[in-house]
Amino acid sequence: MIGGVPSVSRRDVVRLLAAGGVATVLPGALAGCGVSDPRPPVKGGRLRVATNNSSTADTLDPAKQAVATDYCRCHMFYNGLTSLDEHSRAQLALAESIESRDATVWTVKLRRDVRFHDGKKLTADDVVYSLRRHADPAVGSKARVFASQFAEIRAMAPDEVRITLIAPNADLPVILGINNFQIIRDGTTDFTTANGTGPFRCKEYTPGVRSVSVRNEDYWRRPPHLGEVELFAIADENARVNALLSGDVDLINAINPRITKQLRRAGLEIFESKSGGFTDLVIRLDQAPGHNPDFVLGMKYLLDRATMRNAIFRDYAMLANDHPIPPTNPYFNPDLPQRPYDLDRARFHFRRAGLLGATVPIVTAPPAEKSDDIAVLMQASARKAGLNLDIRRVPADGYWANHWMKVPVGFGNVNARPTADIIFTQFFKSDAPWNESGWKNERFDRLLLEARADRDEGRRRAIYQEMQRMIHAQSGVGIPLFISTLDAHSPRLKGMRPMPQGGLMGGAFAEHVWLEDA
Amino acid sequence: MTDAQSIAPAEAPAAKRQRRPRRINLSGAIGLVTVSFWLVVAAIGPALAPHDVGAVVDLDVFSPASAAFPLGTDYLGRDILSRMLTAARYTVFIALVATLLAASVGVLFGLAAATVGGWIDMLLVRLFDTLIAIPSLMFSLVVIASLGSSIPVLIGTIALIYTPGAFRIARALALNVAAMDFVQVARTRGEGIGYIVRCEILPNVIGPLLADFGLRFVFVVLLLSGLSFLGLGVQPPYADLGSLVRENIAGLGYGAPAVLFPAIAIATLTIGVNLVIDNLPGGRPGAGRR
Amino acid sequence: MMLNLQIARMIAVRVASALATMLLVSIVVFAANFLMGGDVAEAILGQSATPEAVAGLRRAMNLDQPAYQRYLSWLFGLLAGDPGNSLINNMPVLDLIGPRLSNSLLLAGLTALVSVPVALVLGIAAATWRGSAFDRTISLVSIGIVSVPEFLVATLAVLVFAVMLHWLPALSSTRDIDSLSALLRVFAMPVLSLSCVIIAQMIRMTRAAVVDALASSYVETARLKGAGPVRIVLRHALPNAIGPIASAVALSLSVLMGGVIVVEIIFNYPGVAKLMVDAVATRDMPLVQTVAMIFCSSYLVLVTTADIIAILANPRLRHR
Repeated sequence: MIGGVPSVSRRDVVRLLAAGGVATVLPGALAGCGVSDPRPPVKGGRLRVATNNSSTADTLDPAKQAVATDYCRCHMFYNGLTSLDEHSRAQLALAESIESRDATVWTVKLRRDVRFHDGKKLTADDVVYSLRRHADPAVGSKARVFASQFAEIRAMAPDEVRITLIAPNADLPVILGINNFQIIRDGTTDFTTANGTGPFRCKEYTPGVRSVSVRNEDYWRRPPHLGEVELFAIADENARVNALLSGDVDLINAINPRITKQLRRAGLEIFESKSGGFTDLVIRLDQAPGHNPDFVLGMKYLLDRATMRNAIFRDYAMLANDHPIPPTNPYFNPDLPQRPYDLDRARFHFRRAGLLGATVPIVTAPPAEKSDDIAVLMQASARKAGLNLDIRRVPADGYWANHWMKVPVGFGNVNARPTADIIFTQFFKSDAPWNESGWKNERFDRLLLEARADRDEGRRRAIYQEMQRMIHAQSGVGIPLFISTLDAHSPRLKGMRPMPQGGLMGGAFAEHVWLEDA
Repeated sequence: MTDAQSIAPAEAPAAKRQRRPRRINLSGAIGLVTVSFWLVVAAIGPALAPHDVGAVVDLDVFSPASAAFPLGTDYLGRDILSRMLTAARYTVFIALVATLLAASVGVLFGLAAATVGGWIDMLLVRLFDTLIAIPSLMFSLVVIASLGSSIPVLIGTIALIYTPGAFRIARALALNVAAMDFVQVARTRGEGIGYIVRCEILPNVIGPLLADFGLRFVFVVLLLSGLSFLGLGVQPPYADLGSLVRENIAGLGYGAPAVLFPAIAIATLTIGVNLVIDNLPGGRPGAGRR
Repeated sequence: MMLNLQIARMIAVRVASALATMLLVSIVVFAANFLMGGDVAEAILGQSATPEAVAGLRRAMNLDQPAYQRYLSWLFGLLAGDPGNSLINNMPVLDLIGPRLSNSLLLAGLTALVSVPVALVLGIAAATWRGSAFDRTISLVSIGIVSVPEFLVATLAVLVFAVMLHWLPALSSTRDIDSLSALLRVFAMPVLSLSCVIIAQMIRMTRAAVVDALASSYVETARLKGAGPVRIVLRHALPNAIGPIASAVALSLSVLMGGVIVVEIIFNYPGVAKLMVDAVATRDMPLVQTVAMIFCSSYLVLVTTADIIAILANPRLRHR
């Protein structure tokens, strides 16, 4: 179940983690990841990185991190108990072992050779503090949904923590690998600088301006190759690309698929991370016109996935089938026919819904990546199918609070999640906080719990495939494509490896990359 | 520096009347032709568009000019010519109305404030200063949150953003004139405020005011794309000319016509308007006379 | 002596009324915070803003206090010299503003230093030789320049001077400045882009005001007395045109604080414009209020200075 590896039973996975050992394999594996480049990593050098998003809301508080810039910084300064690998499986990090007999009561043994940047030894109290604080509303944690599963977190010994869940969940090691659960020192409330156990120390940090990190020579794993990392944001897409082209920076994220040609021509490298993230069409089923299933189906037939992939994403995307499980996931349902782009069927459903010739508003905004462009293509298709889509572009400002999941027809944006269970639980269960379309299905909820408790891999796959079919057929969410994340870097930067968690190696690049000419 | 004024005799505004017949000059003609061209495009352009303004018609993006797409294609593979023909209508229409609105309201209050003086002047100055001091981002967000997005709201917002500037300039110009002897004479004659503003002050400040109007028109054309970007503006698939430049800016590295032609369109439109203004009677004083 | 007293009184009245304006602006901006909808708790939680999480965070941040109380505590704090802490990252507002304000003032100052003299000289020259080819060229070019969108000018400049020619850095970091040539390299493109935006207005208004003044009867008198064209412009027309020119310059320069967001973003130059955008996006009330006060006061300083210059230049205005 962890990371969806079908060949290993749940019991085995728990024991595998308990065996430890793997922890030393991961950094080694990533360190030697010059698959295409046999030359050994070079030590030292200063890397300048420009990300796409930075403001006074930048944070060094792991609980609050929300954008790529935060992920990169927190990965430099902190570690989690586990980390997620290239298959979204949990690997041990600060934990030496994690084990449980019933998937409810978990025992976490900590490494004893870990020190914070201020010299203090890592103890169970730090872990208890770091995990407990997510329940406090004043912290404003982004992982509160996950933390609500923790019934009790107790220090049993200086190097041992016991986590009791409110219900069995064998995915706990994966959950603990989510960025927000990174470990900070007991009692930390001031995040104007970072005191973690991570591969870099914080030398300078101004929110909305920049950060400078230096190598942590006392790192508990092999210290990173880079000597220093300067990280700042250039929000303007073209300015970011130009800074890379001119050599002012060596690595940028979130590049537009349209400029890959220009970058390649200039001798720069494009770095694609295929992830399960997507921008989805959201039709509220509890409001007009979405309460009519024919309207919802008709809208799904309007999604011209091939043209979207070509025109908007220049083929840096995978076709999706109106459910959130990408083809790269072992639980993907290959027997579910791909929903075609079919104007006749769309027209048929609109007629049945009595909406032929009607005008329906559709809300787009910049935070729902490329929703403008997707809506424009849908609008052209809709006109041919006898429906007028009236695009209402709204400000990025306050989009999630004011428009998302509130307007009858709009768009959302979902980052890749490490397991099928997590994405179903967060986005499709009847009482999920982000049940975008307001889809309620008792059977779906039952299946979700069944799968969580089932130890038979074959049966669980069958359940997950059935759940994909249900979402595909009934939910008010249309998922046209899984979008790749694109970064670009100068050829002197080596060691980048795609991770399913997102661009810039899920934010963890700094520990693993090096500069060839440092 | 005061001697110049002390020797100025009390004189009616007739002093500023033209002394020689205007000659029709080349720049005025060019301006007139350009502006007429854009007015015609705004009027009938959308009907001439060879392609649907929102339809993806090219498999590639940022294509160069070709027979099928005379001005190339945009960032999604849409026909730029068709998009520009519709964009011109929005830009010309909205910018003209909004600028006229901002200029007339601002000038009216500016001239009145300078002529009346006293606490009314003070009050108006404070009011417009407050308006200008509200960050326009905040102002736009408040407008969107409370009034939603539509073309009339867009025009009103732009007009409000540029009214205080027009007010400031008009008042500064009028203050100088209002202190002149002939205005004092008119006052002692017992003329009303309306008469003084209309007949004594306005004719003497119309030149700089028109110059200011021309510039304000340029700023409004450019502001349109900024507001569209925020969500207060022309809604997709339509766009104004500035938004066409903005959404295709990634094509700059390819030298794509998709970014160049809309920019050229804005330049010709705004230069044309200013050339016409410069050659209006009373506009750009001194251009063709003396 | 009497004159000085009169001027002092006039300045005092204007300063007092400027302060009144600032108070009014602070109230309006505070109200706008609410009219925009949303609050800082929702901004912090973003996509994870479930109703109970928002409610909990609001309580923890004392956002459930009545609005007027929050306004008054900010106002009294500001008067005492401490506008409080940012709600979003808990840092003192003054610490956040300090370095960015000096960045913004530096950029604005350099831009003014370059553009104002150029604009005045070109504007006066165009007025002196009005109707000539020189005059027409200046007029055409200045309108042409201002009609190109700012982001296009800046992006194009970077593409040419940083990416293709490698003469200048694509990003403007004040940390890299250790010599005059470094200063020029860092500020060349931002100052150029900003000057393109503001210079046309100053040129045109200067020209228009001078030409207008040239048409007045007293200049006619001077002309009849046989004064040369340059002398007429500088000695007789210019003094009477100073008021409107000062107003136009003040209005143009007032854009240089809050209106330079495009340049700050493209050149990654941390100034107060981006700070304001951040603060508005996160509904960080104390920060929004304080930065708004900075914008407002810089605007008022400029226009009040212009007013006073106009009055000093034209003695008839002193009695109003």
